Amino acid sequence: MTRVLRVMHSSIPAESGTRQPDANPLRSRREDRSRRVIAPAGHWRLAWQASNGSGGYSLLIDRRSFVAALLLTIALMAASLAYLAMGSSSLALGAVLPALVGRGDLMAVFLIQELRLPRLAAACLTGAAFGVAGCLMQTLARNRLATPGIIGIDNGATAFAVASVVGLGVSLAPPAMALVGATTAAALTFGLAAGGGTRGYRFIVAGIGVGAVFGAITQLLLAKVSIDIANAAYPWTVGTLNARPAGAVTLLAIGLAFGLIAALWLTRALSLMRFSDAVAAGLGLHVARRRWQVLSVSVLLTGLAVAVAGPVGLIGLIGPEIARSLSSSRGVPIMASALAGALVMVLADLAGRVLLSPIEIPVGIVTAVVGGPWLLWILLRPASRNLA
Amino acid sequence: MTRHELATRNLTLRYGRATIIDELALSLPAGQVTAIVGPNGCGKSTLLAGLARLHAPSQGAVLLDGNDIQQLPARELARRLALLPQEAIAPEGLTVAELVRFGRQPHQGWLRQWSSEDQQVVHRALAAADVDELADRSLDTLSGGQRQRAWIAMTIAQQTPLLLLDEPTSALDLGHQIEVFELVRRLATDGRTVVMVLHDLASACRYADHLLALRNGQLVAAGPPGDVVTTDLVRRLYDIDCTLIPDPATGSLLLANVRRVGR
Repeated sequence: MTRVLRVMHSSIPAESGTRQPDANPLRSRREDRSRRVIAPAGHWRLAWQASNGSGGYSLLIDRRSFVAALLLTIALMAASLAYLAMGSSSLALGAVLPALVGRGDLMAVFLIQELRLPRLAAACLTGAAFGVAGCLMQTLARNRLATPGIIGIDNGATAFAVASVVGLGVSLAPPAMALVGATTAAALTFGLAAGGGTRGYRFIVAGIGVGAVFGAITQLLLAKVSIDIANAAYPWTVGTLNARPAGAVTLLAIGLAFGLIAALWLTRALSLMRFSDAVAAGLGLHVARRRWQVLSVSVLLTGLAVAVAGPVGLIGLIGPEIARSLSSSRGVPIMASALAGALVMVLADLAGRVLLSPIEIPVGIVTAVVGGPWLLWILLRPASRNLA
Repeated sequence: MTRHELATRNLTLRYGRATIIDELALSLPAGQVTAIVGPNGCGKSTLLAGLARLHAPSQGAVLLDGNDIQQLPARELARRLALLPQEAIAPEGLTVAELVRFGRQPHQGWLRQWSSEDQQVVHRALAAADVDELADRSLDTLSGGQRQRAWIAMTIAQQTPLLLLDEPTSALDLGHQIEVFELVRRLATDGRTVVMVLHDLASACRYADHLLALRNGQLVAAGPPGDVVTTDLVRRLYDIDCTLIPDPATGSLLLANVRRVGR
């Protein structure tokens, strides 16, 4: 099957007369000029024709969102490089890349490959997972405050994980427990908000209540056990990348791969969910089914990420916020949220490691210090947009 | 445009235990404008939601060309039936052209995101609703009437033979109401079947070909406004007495000397 690939620049208002000459002379002869397809403003259109005449295919790429994702990727790579180079013993930037492939000073190789790279991977994965989970939940609830961290899903996951730590002495399967906890909290929030759906403040208030209860349960569990066990469970309560349960990162990587693909596949549905339900349904969205899918992916990502890093839920608020401010307002920035979440997580953990070195500040505390004022700013900003 | 038949069979719609629509059987004339009227709480908006499959029937069915709409895939239904709900909320910052492009959603897919057909249909929809001048304006900056026409343009871009409107003029001043009603008439002239819920009986008489009058979830009258609207019907629907006089220019019925029953 031979296809003709055609990229058409647009955004050019149709009347400005700056249409690009068609790359394919055959087509321009065949096609009436008035039938020429112009990509909607701000998009690139990729179009190709199946040679068997079964019709045309076309993709629209939002230019601003594409550029935003590109910028975030570059920023994430730069931050990652800094993350690998900086720390209690700093490396020259020039030594980082050789050490990555196992060349150079043995100490540097050990530092990079054994210590910092796994932690960087964990930071990227958790940040991306929190970012996507936050973006999904915000879109679902049509409210930018409705992130998994705020509606109690993080706390649910944490409480269950801590229960497994203090109850059994060793963590049997914190990822599994965290996932169960996240699901329980989400189910409770939905149950309590029954009738109100996922829209509106009833859902958020119910979530805050559920989160408070699970937070209290966590504290209660910690108060009942000996100080040593409480210490073992402590990382779970603040959020840190220092104590990563074995296997949890691998599980998160698999879950994120699945979740990201699912979220991207849901992008078109998500863009309809930003309308009121009746409008979305009228445009052919199976609202109830899609809502379950979006919620499931968000809860899955949150649970798996909490299992690695603990409740660093503010990433789910900050990541999508950055993504939205950079991307175009036309779509739901899933990819940009993942990248921005990862970026914030990497920077926050780097700051936590470096600022008071050799003492390490848990990443959850860094994000809380940064995220708290951010949350206030969102609330107090005069022209606050509801979402997206 | 092919005509499609929308009808109900023993349709019962409930909210919890409250029966809103009770065993309703009706059919909507194809290619005409039908207005659903009745007092507050008579179930007219619920009926529209039921016709659009937003509200699943407790009993009976809504039939599109003889098939139960509950059996249709969501996208398939959205290619045959467009809906403009009363509280239509769009994402902030959306422009008119972007909104209207969403109307193409049921016709698009992952590998078919913007075809020459999409482009032409959107172009025509913008022109049909007379919002092509406003295409690049953000919805938030439009007047109520302009915004409503932009929403209707979106439903036009859906290219459905059936169009359901829930009180399309409720928040509009008189001038903007007329703009919307005239647009609705043009759509019917093009062969669409339009069903709209209306508050105002006089507007229904003026712009609808067919009237459905509801009270307490039951059909009180159905037919052309000139045939079914009587002082007796007005009393049954709204508990008011009035004198009905024909509009000197159009002949449609007007309500005059309106007063509460018995005064």
